[in-house]
Amino acid sequence: MIHCENLSKRYPMGSGHKQVFQNLDLHVGPGQRVGLLGRNGAGKTTLIKLIGGVEMPTSGKIRREMSVSWPLGFGGGFQGSLTGYDNARFIARIYGHEYEDIRGFVEDFTELGSQLKMPVKTYSSGMKARLAFALSLTIEFDCYLIDEVIMVGDADFHRKCHYELFEKRADRALILASHSSELVRGLCDRAMVLHEGHGRMYSDVNEALGIYADL
Amino acid sequence: MTSFAAGWRIQRRVIGALMIRELVTRFGRENIGFLWMMVEPLLFAGLVGIMWRYMHGPEEHGVSVVAFVASGYIPLTLFRHAVTRCTRIFSVNGSLLYHRQIKVLDFIFVRFLIEVIGSMMAFVCIGTLLYLLNEFPMPADVGLLLAGWSLYCLFTFSLCLVLAPLSELSEVLEKLLPVTTYIMIPFSGTFSMVSWLTPEIQQVLLYSPFVSPMELIRAGIFGDRVNAIWDLTVPISSSLILTLVGLALCRRIRRQLVIE
Repeated sequence: MIHCENLSKRYPMGSGHKQVFQNLDLHVGPGQRVGLLGRNGAGKTTLIKLIGGVEMPTSGKIRREMSVSWPLGFGGGFQGSLTGYDNARFIARIYGHEYEDIRGFVEDFTELGSQLKMPVKTYSSGMKARLAFALSLTIEFDCYLIDEVIMVGDADFHRKCHYELFEKRADRALILASHSSELVRGLCDRAMVLHEGHGRMYSDVNEALGIYADL
Repeated sequence: MTSFAAGWRIQRRVIGALMIRELVTRFGRENIGFLWMMVEPLLFAGLVGIMWRYMHGPEEHGVSVVAFVASGYIPLTLFRHAVTRCTRIFSVNGSLLYHRQIKVLDFIFVRFLIEVIGSMMAFVCIGTLLYLLNEFPMPADVGLLLAGWSLYCLFTFSLCLVLAPLSELSEVLEKLLPVTTYIMIPFSGTFSMVSWLTPEIQQVLLYSPFVSPMELIRAGIFGDRVNAIWDLTVPISSSLILTLVGLALCRRIRRQLVIE
């Protein structure tokens, strides 16, 4: 389970601050798939960062009782100046895996070939997305945190992600921040709509999508 | 106990991975690779030593000028590098915080450790080289030398624990740091023994946390040929206070850290 209780997050802004959201509760059990909906700036990415432990809430508590991936988006988790292979080595080291065991999968999944010998900062966003997914799939988490911005890849990438994450690992929990009603309807069994600092959970995904469309 | 063992395993893994990553990004794998980390302290100590040798002659107060300057310069470069490299360390490494097992303290510790290892390698290198040239004595008391070095490191590290979070709060700190580390050189014990100075200055200098560890290092190297004076309360108590303040600051800043 992941329990988020009474979460609030504020960022300093000029002399005052911006309240992203307040008193937000979210509970995600094993295998549950939750969509996060909301307009740009509503706090979807922020919430995912808090759940992933990248940033800390201003107040409130997060308890993680299952293994949670790092947030899969563009920016984080990578060292731009290191090559794709070096990043894979680094991930293997800090998660206690053998690099030799994960290398093959990373090469197969990313299909980046010799580009893996280049610094990650030279990659296109699609290439970064491939590497990010490949690395997080080698670690095997109970819950994956995914920011939709990363779903930028081509059709082949989508097919692979779908197979690896949504079919082969259908038993895993998922928190997906998304604007795509198709994606949320297809993958999630609940959805939370974030709006004006409040989060409301809907057990009916279609209802949530309706509310989101009217914002 | 098992959770402690598991935590310790993860901690070792993280430190190891961060060390390798830091060495690869900073020095690359070309030519001598990570050995570069000792080149700078080595050059500093060597060249400044030679310069002093020509300015002050081969010996002063009964000890070799080159050996004296080199033994002072290596700790000093450690301090200056460690302090400079810990500024803005949280935001620079922000993307690593995507992995929850990595903590901000690991960043400070890893960079500091690299500086310490580099300086120690440089120390051994230059000591051996000068020994072969008959310019450096066999250390009279290795225990004292290591005690002084450890204390010097402890104080430098505790200072980094405070400076790293403060540098995230204000850019002014980063701008003032180079001049401050320069101004403090007379208070660092690098270029003279306390006993060579007047009693009034001695009293003032012993309040500097660098001076006593430096005296210990010199006593460990030169033995009876120098008259070392030290007072361990200043470096130990200031290190403890800085560590406590630093840990609290790190925790506080980590909560506010905004990561892209």
